[in-house]
Amino acid sequence: MTIPLRLTSTLTLCLLAMGIFLQFATAKTPAKIVEIKGEMIDTWCYFSGVMGDTDATRGTAHHTCALWCAAGGIPVGVRTESGEVYMVLKYKGEDALAPTDTIMEVQSEIITARGKHFIRDGVNYLVVEKVIANDGIQYLSHEDYDSIPPFSAPKKPKKN
Amino acid sequence: MFDKTFITATISLAALSLVSLATAADFSAGSKAKKWNLYGEEKATFSGKVVDVLCELSGDCPANCGDGNRNLGVVRASDNRLVLVLKNRQSAFNGATEDLLPYCNKKVDVDGLLIGEDEVVKAKFYMVQFIRVVGTEKWNKASLWTKRWAEKNPAAKGKGPWFRRDPRVKKQLAKSGHFGLGVDFDKKYIEENE
Repeated sequence: MTIPLRLTSTLTLCLLAMGIFLQFATAKTPAKIVEIKGEMIDTWCYFSGVMGDTDATRGTAHHTCALWCAAGGIPVGVRTESGEVYMVLKYKGEDALAPTDTIMEVQSEIITARGKHFIRDGVNYLVVEKVIANDGIQYLSHEDYDSIPPFSAPKKPKKN
Repeated sequence: MFDKTFITATISLAALSLVSLATAADFSAGSKAKKWNLYGEEKATFSGKVVDVLCELSGDCPANCGDGNRNLGVVRASDNRLVLVLKNRQSAFNGATEDLLPYCNKKVDVDGLLIGEDEVVKAKFYMVQFIRVVGTEKWNKASLWTKRWAEKNPAAKGKGPWFRRDPRVKKQLAKSGHFGLGVDFDKKYIEENE
């Protein structure tokens, strides 16, 4: 059986193009220096909907849950006003899951951060090098949602 | 030998094939993952390599994928996509790093859920429920987190779930309150909701 020259050529070019494409896809991702302003969020509750919609899983209503998730090793993100989310890989020189208080202290707060931005497969990643401003907690979501989840609400301490 | 249009069309076709392969692939066949009814949830089992995400992106690669201090992911073998893993199978606010760490830079099969259907962030994230080294038969449940936490926090031993006893959480709650608005706000909230 003879394979026509044009078909052979097409297949060869296809393989070549796929090779070039994959080579680009596997190369290290170039970083850009950016300045991002947004809220420090718990990305699991935010994207999964497990605790409610994306307004309920931010701000004051969700603050305790955000602390639980950050301590639990769930990736923390910076959510901008337009809804973009940057997954934090390092924060002021510390690895994101380092067992310190650094990243815990800024949960639910609005920060302006400068750092390295990587994007791969539709996901934004951020290495926060410097926090330029911290506007604290701004989104008073408890006014609409109370406490999310309800069992995260403060309770009267038990008497011994 | 080839005209320009022919070459452009062929390259575009190949690129399009790869893009559609990456976005439309269905990984649900053979999955034994438990449903959670989450946004955009899809059962997904696939093979890939466990990676330290920052190392994968930048070449900043500490030993043993950061020893538990870094976010980990799986580079899927079929399409080379970096899948960020947000969660293990436990239902107590637990991430996946402790469950992925023993497989750092190893080829694995994973089974779990792809989630996410955000209007702005057009990406899927992963909850790993089972994991095994490629070529082995036995699946391991991705539920190591609380065990590792207990080993690291012997002084926090006691009744109730870990997140009620965690020293880092307790420190922040004592400082900023449950809503982040201060402990006086908490007191007022308790009075009003008793």
